[in-house]
Amino acid sequence: MNGKDNKQNTEMGSRQTIIERIRQNKPETKPLPGSFTGNQEPVSKEQLSVCFRESLIKAGAEIAEPDGNEGLEPYKEKHFPEAVDLTDTAVRKKYSSEISKKELEKTGTVIIEGQFGVAENGAIWLDETNFPNRLLPFIAERLIILLNKENIVSNMHGAYRKIDLRNTGFGVFISGPSKTADIEQSLVYGAHGAKRLTIVLFD
Amino acid sequence: MKGHAAKARQFLSDNERADWQDKALWAVRQKRDVAAGSVREWEQLREQASQIKENVLSNLDNYLLQFEQAAIQNGVQVCWAEDDRQFNETILRIIRDHQAQKIVKSKSMLTEECGLNHFLEKEGIEVVDTDLGERIIQFRNEPPSHIVLPAIHLKREEVGELFHEKLHTEKGNSDPTYLTAAARVHLREKFLEADIAITGVNFAVAESGTVVVCTNEGNADMGVHAAPVQIHCMGIEKIIPRTEDLGVFTRLLARSATGQAVTTYTSHYRKPKPGGQMYIVIVDNGRSEHLGLSAHRNSLKCIRCGACMNTCPVYRRSGGYSYGSVIPGPIGSILAPVKQMKDKQDLTFASSLCGSCSNVCPVKVDIHSQLYKWRQEISEKNLFPKAKSYSLSIVGKVLGSNGMYNFSGKAARWALKNMPRRLIYNKLNTWGWGRELPEVPEMSFKEWYKKNGNERKRQ
Ligand code: SF4
Repeated sequence: MNGKDNKQNTEMGSRQTIIERIRQNKPETKPLPGSFTGNQEPVSKEQLSVCFRESLIKAGAEIAEPDGNEGLEPYKEKHFPEAVDLTDTAVRKKYSSEISKKELEKTGTVIIEGQFGVAENGAIWLDETNFPNRLLPFIAERLIILLNKENIVSNMHGAYRKIDLRNTGFGVFISGPSKTADIEQSLVYGAHGAKRLTIVLFD
Repeated sequence: MKGHAAKARQFLSDNERADWQDKALWAVRQKRDVAAGSVREWEQLREQASQIKENVLSNLDNYLLQFEQAAIQNGVQVCWAEDDRQFNETILRIIRDHQAQKIVKSKSMLTEECGLNHFLEKEGIEVVDTDLGERIIQFRNEPPSHIVLPAIHLKREEVGELFHEKLHTEKGNSDPTYLTAAARVHLREKFLEADIAITGVNFAVAESGTVVVCTNEGNADMGVHAAPVQIHCMGIEKIIPRTEDLGVFTRLLARSATGQAVTTYTSHYRKPKPGGQMYIVIVDNGRSEHLGLSAHRNSLKCIRCGACMNTCPVYRRSGGYSYGSVIPGPIGSILAPVKQMKDKQDLTFASSLCGSCSNVCPVKVDIHSQLYKWRQEISEKNLFPKAKSYSLSIVGKVLGSNGMYNFSGKAARWALKNMPRRLIYNKLNTWGWGRELPEVPEMSFKEWYKKNGNERKRQ
């Protein structure tokens, strides 16, 4: 038996030891509570929208809204002409998981479609169906998330009801630009991820 | 080794800095209050979180096995480590297996607890901490002084000096925006060249094998998605049963920690990236023994939000380093004696038992009563230092006897008013150090009640 196998065997022994010790030491079974039912008051679409916007602003994000007859495509072209638009199939192909990190490092603005937003905290859910490469939403200097105005849930309970984690390889809630307050508690945007986050709300 | 009191005294000798830190932490506590107050069902959430965690502790073995099975099905390699030594060796083995040289790590109190950086450095492997606060203290060769705000003890000028030396920023420039930008450039490079990214874990979902990591900076994601190999390290108590439970904990965590409604990034890692490899290391390191201590098992519910530190009058005025343990503050003072009862018993006195910690704790750890229970156990085992056990035995006698208690209260009120300060602030009375005496009431509450209560009855 070589050294490596040996180490792996002790690890398997460890698993057994840990599980055994837990069995000996754990308390009597306490029941798992049912689903959380907090505030169940119905909330209107308008309320959700107002709350969502407030949360985003608080988290340091910007909100943009093409006016009714402008249309989303012309809006994107006008405002973010240089952006890597991941809602475009050809662009998605180019930015698949094989693309080099060097190439990715150059990405300035990235446009991604978000799945839904959460009113209480401004978080927006994205998963691998929204970006072809996991690094893209983080390495971009500026992130634009497109979100259908209809897709806003009230809180995180509603949010997790919409997510099927068992079929999600990687997924993330993003609620603002990357930030830090590690130097004397002063808030600075753009620690490691996107320096700017803009949410484009569309119908 | 110096105890907490001695180190606290040292911290307090720089009065200005002590005040400054006190205010900084109190500001975080106030933000937490606003955030918690904005959620109408806050108390119900805490109760739910507490019950979920109690269920987890009572069924931890099965949840861990369920989690492991799901993770393996997801293509994740799961490793187990009984203690710090085994944990460090497991990480080293993974590093060697991949012939990796460059490692980036996002915040993980577990790796601090196990001394991973130190261990790997001795093996000639450089680990770069990527959380800005952690990078700062890593440059300074210091441990974190707070679990959420690792560099809270430092002033901007100190960071400016440090970055000038290490990152060649302008001398004398200590603007946080400027310094953060310099760190961004420096760490970008580290992210992109890393062979392996290591992270901690906030929550591990048993039913799906997903690990959840919460950051504001995005450093966990930059590391994990850029490096070909990702390793997530978790203590056995990080398990939660269901996806829906994440709703409860994500609502509580950031609000309690920093007063934000949620962290900027809440990342859910379940499968390795295409062409990449993913490991999860499950670590015991004393936790399963801790589970057997029925009086202290409750503290295993902790989600490491740091709220009990920010609110603690002792932590705020003694600093994280005075505790001499990886996790400082009220929760740290419960955890440390689990493994080192004799050496760390003094930490159970680093508390006024005011109960503020228990009130803010999002998962309802009964922190202050646990500290009290520790004191009792330590006293039963006769582990107190002599002076303390003598004065405590008097306290016990006085509190145990009604007559003596009433008399001693009167006597104390008289003494506070009439005795010279030097009698109270003498060398023998350690209590007087760093404490100012309260205004003396004319009568005790009991006396007041007797008088006023009777008057009220007469009305
Ligand atoms: S004990 Fe409670 S308040 Fe303290 S860090 Fe843990 S979860 Fe937060």
